[in-house]
Amino acid sequence: MTVSLEATFREEWPRAVAILTRVLGDLSLAEDAVQDAFATALERWPRDGVPRSPGAWIVATARNGAIDRIRRERTFARKAEMLARLQDLSDDPDADVSSIPDERLALLFTCCHPALAVEARVALTLREVAGLATPEIARAFLVPEPTLAQRLVRAKRRVRETGIPFRVPPDHLLPDRLPDVLRVLYLVFNEGYAATSGAELVRRELCAEAIRLAKLLCVLMPDEPEAFGLLALLLLQDSRREARSGRDGELVLLADQDRSLWDRAAIDEGLRVLDRAEAMRRPGPYQLQAAIAAGHAEGTDPSVIAVLYGALEQFEPTPVVRLNRAVAVALAGDLEGGLALLDALEGLDGYSYLPAARADLLRRLGRAEEAAVAYRDALALTENAAERRFLAHRLEEVTASTSW
Amino acid sequence: MKYALLVYSDQSSWEGVDEEEAARRRAESMPRWVTLFEEMGKADPSSEGRELVAASEAKVVRMVDGERVVTDGPFAETKEMIGGLFLTDLPDLDEAIRIAALVPAAEYGSLEIRPIVEM
Repeated sequence: MTVSLEATFREEWPRAVAILTRVLGDLSLAEDAVQDAFATALERWPRDGVPRSPGAWIVATARNGAIDRIRRERTFARKAEMLARLQDLSDDPDADVSSIPDERLALLFTCCHPALAVEARVALTLREVAGLATPEIARAFLVPEPTLAQRLVRAKRRVRETGIPFRVPPDHLLPDRLPDVLRVLYLVFNEGYAATSGAELVRRELCAEAIRLAKLLCVLMPDEPEAFGLLALLLLQDSRREARSGRDGELVLLADQDRSLWDRAAIDEGLRVLDRAEAMRRPGPYQLQAAIAAGHAEGTDPSVIAVLYGALEQFEPTPVVRLNRAVAVALAGDLEGGLALLDALEGLDGYSYLPAARADLLRRLGRAEEAAVAYRDALALTENAAERRFLAHRLEEVTASTSW
Repeated sequence: MKYALLVYSDQSSWEGVDEEEAARRRAESMPRWVTLFEEMGKADPSSEGRELVAASEAKVVRMVDGERVVTDGPFAETKEMIGGLFLTDLPDLDEAIRIAALVPAAEYGSLEIRPIVEM
């Protein structure tokens, strides 16, 4: 019973919020109405049984609740308009909910609108589209519940007061807006993926949420290869979750991971999704990152990985992508070439991975003294205990070899 | 949704500009104004726009301890001043952003989009 109610909640919440937002033109009002409907369900369903069509029951109950609320609270002009639109919505609790247009995609784009602060987009998406409760989101982001509740209230107010539209952007805006949605889902995933210790396990739920949302996006936008690219990337990264940290929470590099800990089913699913994306023949940054992750999973030739990074750099010419490409070039056998690319990098001051990568290439080239300098530079830039242990160990190795 | 589009620009860029140069600048930006008025008119035929006299001509009024104090403007010491404003009724923020970007001052100044509180 409780399981069924929870599953229904997660499935039907965004659908109902989206439908009611479309009708009422107001996200806050819609959320209140749906919340009330679920409260009623919690009271009645254990007693009377789960209705035949839970989604339609929720929509019908939310509709009726909204009518009551509006009759009580609204000024006349707004009242008449909203009531008229609510009347058009079915009140049949046995109807097939799929007969009502699916507005979840519009809801997702509204929650990810660039006029909202990034953390507001993330919180709103998890609340409205993933259907997570406020305390759950607060726990996952390690912020006090009132802070997160405030963030949500402010975000919803901004949606209403600035006129952020409730719709899937028209074609001419879509190339601009889809990356915003993908970015929010990727942020949700990374927030969970960064969690390594047991105490942070609750945050790992975020990875599952991001994957669930990416799957929903693929269902709703079956012709967008980047949506599939993102889903593939998330699945492939998630497949290595158990292998990427050691017993003491330290980071285990890809090359040193215990491959038996990789989740084979997730890898296979990621590869299938990536195939589907690539079949659309419109490459993009998420597909390329997924292809790189797939290459790592399958032990693809390093020169192929280097080429993929080169292609990724065309889409995202950021210093971090260039750094990764330089390392990939070096791993593909061209140590000097990789080093030259690293030395040409700008805009990564204070980023410990740059001296760490230089140190590693210099060490492989047998230039121990320069490597030692670079290891010391890297050590000066990181506070992370696991990274410091790793760098100090390598520094010891190269200094030992120079003193001979 | 009603929006005020506030046009900010650095008015000092017009200081010491002779008539000929001013006329040339105005002629140069004319096609952009035409596009703006066409698009704004299509989006909301009752849109209004006004240019303001230079901020250096402004008066600032305050009540201090019950006394009326009037000083010469401008009020703020920033370079970019409000040089004009539009009032327009548009479907949503995306449309307001599109229209604001058409204002010529968006190229050399900036546009501030302020939703108007509905009564």
